[in-house]
Amino acid sequence: MTAVSHARACAAALAGLEGMTPRRLVALLEQWGPEEAWSLVAAGAHPRDPECRFRAAALGVEVGAVGDRYRCAGVDVLVPEDPAYPAALRGDPGAPAVLFAMGDPEVLADRPAVAVVGTRSATPYGRQVAAELGRDLASAGVVVVSGLALGIDGAAHAGALDAGRRAAPPVGVAATGLDVAYPAVHRQLWNAVAARGAVVSEAPLGAPPRRGRFPARNRIVAGVCDVVVVVECHQRGGSIYTAEAAARRSIPVGVVPGSVRSPASAGTNALLVDGCFPVRDAEDVLVAVSLARRRVDRPDPLPVAGVPVAARVRPPRDDQRRPRGASAPPAPLAPPAPADGTAEAMVLAALDRVPTPIETVAVRTSLRVGELAQALHRLVAAGWADAGDGWWSSRYPLPGQRRPERRPVDG
Amino acid sequence: MLATIPSAVLVGVEGRPVSVEVHVSNGLPGFTVVGLPDAAVRESRDRVRAALLSSGLAWPLRRITVNLAPSGVRKGGSGLDLPIAVGVLAATGVLDVREVAGRAFVGELGLDGSVRPVAGMLALADAVGDVPVVVPSQAVAEAALTARSGIESCSTVRQLVGCLTGAEPWPDRQAEPVPSPLTGVVGQPDLCDVRGQRVARRALEVAAAGGHHLLLVGPPGSGKTMLAERIPGILPPPDRGTALEATRVHSVAGLPLPPGGLIGCPPFRAPHHGSSFVAMVGGGTAALRPGEVSLAHGGVLFLDELGEFATSVLEALRQPLEEGIVRVSRARGTVSYPARFLLVAAMNPCPCGEGGPPGSCRCSPVARERYARRLSAPLLDRFDLAVVLQRTDADDLLGGDPGEPTAVVAQRVAFARYRAATRGVVANALLSPERLAVTAPLAPAARSLLDAALRSGELSARGLHRVHRIARTVADLDGAGLLVDERHVHEALVLRSRRSVLLGEAPR
Repeated sequence: MTAVSHARACAAALAGLEGMTPRRLVALLEQWGPEEAWSLVAAGAHPRDPECRFRAAALGVEVGAVGDRYRCAGVDVLVPEDPAYPAALRGDPGAPAVLFAMGDPEVLADRPAVAVVGTRSATPYGRQVAAELGRDLASAGVVVVSGLALGIDGAAHAGALDAGRRAAPPVGVAATGLDVAYPAVHRQLWNAVAARGAVVSEAPLGAPPRRGRFPARNRIVAGVCDVVVVVECHQRGGSIYTAEAAARRSIPVGVVPGSVRSPASAGTNALLVDGCFPVRDAEDVLVAVSLARRRVDRPDPLPVAGVPVAARVRPPRDDQRRPRGASAPPAPLAPPAPADGTAEAMVLAALDRVPTPIETVAVRTSLRVGELAQALHRLVAAGWADAGDGWWSSRYPLPGQRRPERRPVDG
Repeated sequence: MLATIPSAVLVGVEGRPVSVEVHVSNGLPGFTVVGLPDAAVRESRDRVRAALLSSGLAWPLRRITVNLAPSGVRKGGSGLDLPIAVGVLAATGVLDVREVAGRAFVGELGLDGSVRPVAGMLALADAVGDVPVVVPSQAVAEAALTARSGIESCSTVRQLVGCLTGAEPWPDRQAEPVPSPLTGVVGQPDLCDVRGQRVARRALEVAAAGGHHLLLVGPPGSGKTMLAERIPGILPPPDRGTALEATRVHSVAGLPLPPGGLIGCPPFRAPHHGSSFVAMVGGGTAALRPGEVSLAHGGVLFLDELGEFATSVLEALRQPLEEGIVRVSRARGTVSYPARFLLVAAMNPCPCGEGGPPGSCRCSPVARERYARRLSAPLLDRFDLAVVLQRTDADDLLGGDPGEPTAVVAQRVAFARYRAATRGVVANALLSPERLAVTAPLAPAARSLLDAALRSGELSARGLHRVHRIARTVADLDGAGLLVDERHVHEALVLRSRRSVLLGEAPR
């Protein structure tokens, strides 16, 4: 870890002052370098701080100690002039004046970036889709950016990490200080993302999770990306903020459609109505990435040069699209569908893809609880269904699988 | 001058024999009660005096000393009014000592000379020993359940004096207490009122059949209380021993008893979530009153809004759940109350109450986690079964078939309990792991299913035994033989309780 220069230490010290907000920090550093700004603030002479709001706070701060603290924590302090500062943020109206980074933020430099975001209380469907998107996008050389939160964010990062060492590294944008892993259960994920890619934050070391920081974090997520994908989000979720921040920056927003009955998809479906483009899988996102990159007149992003994204991913798609009809060739690994007339077939037909309460399945099938339990467990073992507590859902069919049709149940 | 009258007082749910010694002598008129009386006993002198005067009997203007022996035991309650009055009458010569001898008396007096019943008559009549006991006529049925040799009743002091002197006959024992029909009481809610809820009904049946404690998780309006109220109906009636214990507790608590005197159907207690520790386990300063866990003895203790109960109250349930009795220790001593009950609890799945699968309500996973943490793991561990309820569809509510009536389910439950009794336990929930291995051998497919669950970490060793016990109960309900089948284990796995029920999360 390189030593933190005095200028950086001043920037970090300013960012860490009591009562500092991103906007005030931008104002302090607008016309002055960090060192100059620090001296002015400490002397109570900064013209943008006429009330000397920060002077008292700055009195007890030793710049050298601040620099040491960041060095010991392994955290880089980035200002917009740094080469490592994300290029996409430089022209951004809401760009943070100081950005803290763990890992290597330069992974963003030569790759396209896609934000995969969504609600913390995600359904298994949302988590699965987020993980798949994360994995496939990372495999295609796209940096997956997300907020390291519970639910969709975490699933997207976990998916990106699953894609292996050769895939593009992920980038996490945190809302707390980089030494405050939040949520705490994601500490491992947090460290893994920092080790493979980078975790950045505009909050100084030690900053606790605060309500206001999360929307601020979301604007950075939107700012560093070429495309934002919202996987699942409630009617008034924080991801709506990310989508709005992206829209203000003319960054395309993709949305994964969900069940109209699932509250976790209420926000995303509303975004679809508002004109965001639908995302079925990573290919839909890659097309948008390619268009977005071309529009801002950047060279084709993917490390495998030569073929534009759309051309590379499009052609096989027409044949391998998931079977909409019965004519698709069966995939070799698909488990055999339960035979017609068995309890399993009845139960599978009665399951929805969104979590279905076991009670509903019991009513639809009229099976006794014992038979129902046995059929459900067998379907799960065969990979046709997912188990929850009191609720169950059918899996999306693998290529070649055909779901039995739901038949009306008598009585 | 001196009369000694046998009587009894309550300590916990047990009676203690007490001799009431009344001494009347010359001296300044006065009335003293010694022998550790509590306030109610000390006040009895005013009641006794007024009752005797109202009955047209003379009050001696002499010095009266009443001693309650043994003197070391604290005595409470108003049941000593009657023996004191009789003692005064005998000591002043209104009654002949020989007329009084050989009888015990228990009862409270009214100022008008009436004789009133007191709480705990069952235990008091049991405690007086092998002498006939005279009780208030309203408490005859109750006292008759345990009185060992003869029982007489009276409703006023005047009548009592007449009977004792032989001037009038003892009143007929009012209609021999009907041997309480040990069946359900008319007017109990019936299971056929519950529409839909097939899974929850099954869980209810398994809980009643196996004595497995049950946790119902569901949004408001999903029928948690409605279901719980119907459990006493499907439980088998308590055996005579349990019924007597339950009656004794109810009688001590001063609660109304059924007409026959004996509690013939399982009690249902649903204390409010604001209940205090003492209200739940028993105690109190004056008399050690039985708590809700004891009032539910032989029946169902239903805790609605389980998450809202004070933690100390919930933790106090662990010992009675384990041992079937609750010990209340105070500086004055320790009393034990019976407390073997079926615990049924209900709670919302999350703070907003809607719950359901993740993503279907506004509560964040953190909020749900925090809500779930209100139940300690050891307490959650006491629940064998847990069901996640959903609101019933409007179609089911308006049109759906009525479910099976209580009588049909109760019959299956009774059969399962009978099978359990052949294994030497009241219910399968009490089977020890060793007995379980002998009485519930697993079919090969069932064994491999449990093996897989154990190996994947889905089940702990304790959870394994629990599923095994539930599977035994399910098999009993289905009328299966000795062998526990695969489908029974499947059903047990669906019905068993686990922490994740509260989080709505898929086990991952």
